[in-house]
Amino acid sequence: MIQLTNIEKYYANKGVKNYVLRLVTTTIKQGEFVSIMGPSGAGKSTLLNIIGMLEEPTYGTYEFLGEDVTSLNERKRIELYRNHIGFVFQAYHLIDEMTVYENIEAPLLYKKIGSSERASRIADLLDRFNIVAKKDLFPNQLSGGQQQLVGIARALAAQPSIILADEPTGNLQSAQAEEIMTLFKKLNQEDGITIIQVTHSEKNAQYGNRILHIADGVVKEDLAVLS
Amino acid sequence: MFRLNLKIALRSLFRNKVYAAINIGGLAIGLTSCLLLLLYAGYEWGYDRQFKNSPHIYQAMINLNDQKGEVIRTINQSQNVMLAALKEEFSEVLYGARITDVYKRLVANGQESLKLDSRYVDPDFLKLFDYHFISGNPTKALNDPNSIVLTETAAKRIFGTTDVLNQKVRFENQVDLKVTGVIKDLPTNITYGFESLTTFTLYENLNQWPKKPNWGSHDYYTLIKLNENTDIEAFNIKLKGFVGKHFAAAKEDVFIYPLIKLHLYGTFLNGKSIGGNIRQVQLFVGLAIGILLIACINFMNLATASTQGRAKEIGVKKTMGASRSNLVFQFMLESFILTLIGILLSIILLEFSLPMFNRLLGIEIVFDYLNPTNWILIFSVLVITGFISGSYPSFYLSGFNVIQSLKKSLNFKKGYALTFRQVLVVIQFGFSVVLIVATITIYKQIQFIKNMPLGYRSNGLLEVAHEGLLYEKFNLLKTRLLSSGAVVGVTQSSGSISNKNSSVRGLGWVGMSESDKMIDFDQIYTTYDFTKTVKIRLLAGRDFDRKFASDTAAILLSKKAVEVMHLKRPVGTSIVYQGTKRNVVGVFDDIVWDNPSKVAAPMVIAYADISDVITMRLNPDKSLSESTSIINKLVKELNPNFPVEIKFIDGLNEIKLKNEKILGTLANLFGCLAIFISCLGLFGLSSFSTAQRIKEVSIRKILGASITELMTLLSLSFLKLIFIAIVIALPVAYYIMNNWLMHFELRTSLNLWVFMATATLTLVISILTITWQTYRAAKTNAVDALKYE
Repeated sequence: MIQLTNIEKYYANKGVKNYVLRLVTTTIKQGEFVSIMGPSGAGKSTLLNIIGMLEEPTYGTYEFLGEDVTSLNERKRIELYRNHIGFVFQAYHLIDEMTVYENIEAPLLYKKIGSSERASRIADLLDRFNIVAKKDLFPNQLSGGQQQLVGIARALAAQPSIILADEPTGNLQSAQAEEIMTLFKKLNQEDGITIIQVTHSEKNAQYGNRILHIADGVVKEDLAVLS
Repeated sequence: MFRLNLKIALRSLFRNKVYAAINIGGLAIGLTSCLLLLLYAGYEWGYDRQFKNSPHIYQAMINLNDQKGEVIRTINQSQNVMLAALKEEFSEVLYGARITDVYKRLVANGQESLKLDSRYVDPDFLKLFDYHFISGNPTKALNDPNSIVLTETAAKRIFGTTDVLNQKVRFENQVDLKVTGVIKDLPTNITYGFESLTTFTLYENLNQWPKKPNWGSHDYYTLIKLNENTDIEAFNIKLKGFVGKHFAAAKEDVFIYPLIKLHLYGTFLNGKSIGGNIRQVQLFVGLAIGILLIACINFMNLATASTQGRAKEIGVKKTMGASRSNLVFQFMLESFILTLIGILLSIILLEFSLPMFNRLLGIEIVFDYLNPTNWILIFSVLVITGFISGSYPSFYLSGFNVIQSLKKSLNFKKGYALTFRQVLVVIQFGFSVVLIVATITIYKQIQFIKNMPLGYRSNGLLEVAHEGLLYEKFNLLKTRLLSSGAVVGVTQSSGSISNKNSSVRGLGWVGMSESDKMIDFDQIYTTYDFTKTVKIRLLAGRDFDRKFASDTAAILLSKKAVEVMHLKRPVGTSIVYQGTKRNVVGVFDDIVWDNPSKVAAPMVIAYADISDVITMRLNPDKSLSESTSIINKLVKELNPNFPVEIKFIDGLNEIKLKNEKILGTLANLFGCLAIFISCLGLFGLSSFSTAQRIKEVSIRKILGASITELMTLLSLSFLKLIFIAIVIALPVAYYIMNNWLMHFELRTSLNLWVFMATATLTLVISILTITWQTYRAAKTNAVDALKYE
């Protein structure tokens, strides 16, 4: 599904190249649950951003679903966001002015999905995540864990094939974190959604089936998780 | 999507109440000002356009030429025979009418007697202008010489009703007229306004001079309706030499000029139109655009300054698949919502401010809710404002990079983004600075002209019309007035001392050159006690005196007249005046008779018993009310059929500065508004900016910075902008106001203190505006600000 070949990312500053990523080559297949780990500043988030096409690599090629997306025009990228990729953020990033319901609805609106289909999908998600009662509340009226649930529901609304999560539990207490990770695992196993997460926690990484260890911009280890 | 965006926009408005209030408030004030000014510009623009025939009505104008055939002056009045001659010789001229100047005429019906603004016109006047007749037949209304047409209000004032067809009124206490028509009140923006119309034939019957064909005197406005496919330029070429053919001595050419251009482009130089009130219209439209721009800039500034809050939303939406146009549309929508609220508010404000505005300018503008043009105007203002205010924020915000916008603190791209906002603030304040300089300059110029010596003592001087029985009883009135003790001087004259009403050329004197024949002299006729009553200073000789019988053929010259005539010993010489020899008995100091901003023209005071005005000097030892009531009583006693109207010369002089006063008031009003709106924006901007820098402030505080130091730090970034605005705007203001002053022959100077005062005022206001924010920021508890990081 994802084929990264010799991905490099550096920032040139007064002729000095500061490498963030060096010659990263890896393949991620449909249905995998990959955790990217490594110390602060190792380039984890940059790698995730490149996979999410939020940043462009300085060098190397990136194929998504068999298509070269290394430098993609805006319209194509938006198409991918609408149909294939869902983002989950550490700080949830719900839109404060929107209710829970509206937050989940927003991607469907951009995808131009009809109103009855929208209503049924949202109802389904609310139901599944047990947040039906919260649908008219605003993000600041929810706990962190609940916000992240909404964040995930939102990411799933457009029925993406892959979810990119940047430290999804970084701001959460351990009980809530566990709940989220269990949910991810379930989504991966039952719905076959590919998940790539960046995490600091070894424990969280164990929910997935593969770990990429990164340090100083280089993939040091590529381990399968034995469950 | 649209509904959701709408909801979000309204919710974020409610959440940021201060921001919304500043934005909408500024916008509403800006829009109200803009609408007011545009309505006024529309009012001026609509002059004389209200009639079906308007585009095809032309006025006969005369270019007066000098010896060499160069045009020296263009006048809008023509001879009494002009119309008939034009009609006879040119088939293009379908019909037309002569119109006299508007004059207060006495109209009475036994119970009520009052003076109405009246004109004598030819019957076809009613064919030219399709007035709305409430009663009467427009095609026949003025056919009978002894008929009169009244406006609705005039009819109500005399009769108490408009149902007055065929009623009799006494006109000028001389003749009975039949009311043959009542028309709806006229709009105020027409050149030939009136309250009553009477026939030109009546004018000829009541006076001897208008009937005699006379190519030498220009006294009437001549309007004609041309065949609609006439080529005007070709027609004007045909008119060359037309007057000369009829009157060989004339050095003049007649040409026709569209009536609808007369008001806007009615100032002529060298025979060519060089503008007119269009300048006023342009000025107001410019002002309207400027104020609207300031309000829009506020919006843009505040919207982009609040990006910190919006950045996350933009980033998230982008990852959900929002395209840039989705986002642009969303921000545009928000801008339009705010503008719409602003416009609704401004319509309410307009309702309240329009009466005041009208009173200020002495005009009558109403906002007609049924008139689609007004709604088109409002709609276009809405679209333009919404678009301008929304444009920059939309494109700026929607262009955010996702990664940047999702990071906790958004680092603004240093350079472009910030500079653009700074440029906007500079524009705003620059505009305000120009307006302040304009206000001060206009005020200074008005004061300058007001304080210029008039050449006579206007204080305590008043006048009444010399009319009716007062002609034969003038001496009796004079004696009674003087013996009553109410006044200390009484004199008669052909015109008011406050307004130029007559000039003459072709005077002859020893040693004159050929070109001196073309010098125009202001002239006024009087009998005795004129200089004494008005208190004009005599420089040599004496005033007319009863002791000298020969004084009935005497004349007084002004200082300026002596100068242009190059007379060494003026007193005692004789000059040729209007074809007869006159003895110069005195020289008087120049007086301001015409436009007070012009250098006084040479003037003569000639002895003649031709009088329109009785001027009196009040007794300074008596109270004003007592004196005026005595005057009222005495005048009424001798001339019972005419209402007494006492006018103070001071008041009449005041009117002459009306245009400048209006301009001053407007500059003042809209200058204040512009500054207010700018300050609103500055207030909002400084609150955002200090909020952004709160971390920096806290760290500095921990490092030991004092509150004053912090306030200075925070204020400086804004004061720098204001300073730049001042530096840029002052030369612009100098240029503009210097140009404006050039229109006055006598003008005040633009000295340094005007600019110093403006700069100081602007800085002080700005400092006051931002101090509150910076003080609050500097006082915050450092821990509160830092713990969120």
